[in-house]
Amino acid sequence: MRTRAILGSILASTSVLIVGYQAGVSVTTSDGTSVSLPVDAATNGTAGNTNAGNGSSTPGTGTAAAAPAASGPADGTFTGSSVSTRFGNVQVAVTIASGSITDVTALQLTDDDGRSVQISNRAAPILRTEVLSSQSAQVSNVSGATYTTDAYLSSLQSALDQAGA
Amino acid sequence: MRTAFPTMGTMASVELPAAWASEVNEVQRIFRTIDDRYSLYSPDSELSLIAAGTTSLSHASPPLLASYARALEWRSATGGNFSPHRPDGTIDLNGIVKAEAIEQAGEHLTAVGCPEWSINVGGDILVSPTGAATPATASASPLGPRVMRAGIAEPLSPTELLCSLELRHPRRAIATSGSAQRGDHIWRAGSTEPVSFVQVSVVANDIVTADVLATAIVAGGQTALDDVTDRWDVDVVAVDRAGALRATPGLLHALATKI
Repeated sequence: MRTRAILGSILASTSVLIVGYQAGVSVTTSDGTSVSLPVDAATNGTAGNTNAGNGSSTPGTGTAAAAPAASGPADGTFTGSSVSTRFGNVQVAVTIASGSITDVTALQLTDDDGRSVQISNRAAPILRTEVLSSQSAQVSNVSGATYTTDAYLSSLQSALDQAGA
Repeated sequence: MRTAFPTMGTMASVELPAAWASEVNEVQRIFRTIDDRYSLYSPDSELSLIAAGTTSLSHASPPLLASYARALEWRSATGGNFSPHRPDGTIDLNGIVKAEAIEQAGEHLTAVGCPEWSINVGGDILVSPTGAATPATASASPLGPRVMRAGIAEPLSPTELLCSLELRHPRRAIATSGSAQRGDHIWRAGSTEPVSFVQVSVVANDIVTADVLATAIVAGGQTALDDVTDRWDVDVVAVDRAGALRATPGLLHALATKI
C-alpha cells in the first residue's frame, strides 16, 4: 500500500509539471519554487534509457495529447522541484518529444530514513539485440543453471578455467 | 591464479592472486566440510541421517539448525516459492547450502586480507568486495577486469553467452537457476503448469539472496518475478520458454556498461 501511496505522490508531482507544461511558461511546485521550462533543455539523464525499446512505455497520455504542441516548449527533459510529501521527497522529470510526454522519471525519492527508493524495478521485455553482444574472451566466469561435474567438462566455464590456469 | 575442483556435485572455480594461491586449500576445506554435513547423496551425512529419521532434528548441530532456520525464513519471505522441503516433506537444504558455502569461503578470503578474488560454484558467482569498486581500481586490479565481469549463459545454447555484466561492489553476487542444465530440479508446490522461465539470473549484494530469489522466480513464474523485483533490491534477467527476455532497469544499465 505504501508503494501505491508513493506512486500517488509522484503522480501529484507530475501533474504539477504537466499543468505547468500546458501553461507553457513555468512550473510552480507546491513548495513555492518555480522551474522555468527552458528551450533546448534536453538532457541525457535516465529518461529513455530505462525503457528504451521495450515496447511497454505508453508515450502520449491523454493529458499530453491535449497540450498545445505548436505553442508548447521545445523537446527536452524538464525537471520539477523536489516536493516534500509525507512519504518522502519526490522530484520528477518529464521528457517531451514532438509535443507529447514520452517519459516521466523519478529523480529523487527518499523514504523516511532518507534512503533512496526505487519507483519500479520491474523486469520489462527486452530484445536480444538490446543486449550487447558478449564474447567469452571478455569474462572469466559464467553464471548459468548448475551443471553436474560431468557436464562441466563440456561447459564454457571449463574452457575459461583452462584458459585462465 | 585459477583453480577448479569438484564439490557438491558440481565444479568450483576459484580465482586468486598468485601470492594468495595457498588459500585455495582452505576454500576447498570449507566446501568439503559443508558438503559432508548436508549431502543427501552421502548416506552418512548429518542431513541424510535427519532425513531418514535416524537422528532427530532437535539433536541437529547448530550450523545445520542455522541453515534450516535461514531457509525457513526465505520460505516465508518468498511465499513458499523457495522451500527447504521436497514435495514429499523430506528436508533438503540443497537450495541454500551451496550459496552459504560460497558466502563462507568469501568471508574467509576477505578475513585473511586477500585483495581480490572470485568464487564460481556451478554457475553461482561471488566476487571480492574490493577490486572493481571503481573503474580506476578495476584497471589496477591484480587479476584484471575479466575476473569481475560475469557472463550469463545462453540457456538454449550453454556454450554461448546471453550477455555479460560487471559485478561491482555492492552488487557482488549473481546466481542463475533454471531447467536448462539439470532438468526440473526446482519444486513448485502443487503446480503442474510448465515453468514460465527456463532460466532466471539474479544479481544481488549477497550470494544467498541471489540464489534463493533466482530459484523462487523459476518456481513462481511471472508473479514471483514481479513480487521479487518489487520487494528486493536486486536485478533480474529472465528467459521464458519462447526464449524471450525480461530484464530490470538496473540490469539493462549494467549490460550497457562498456567493457
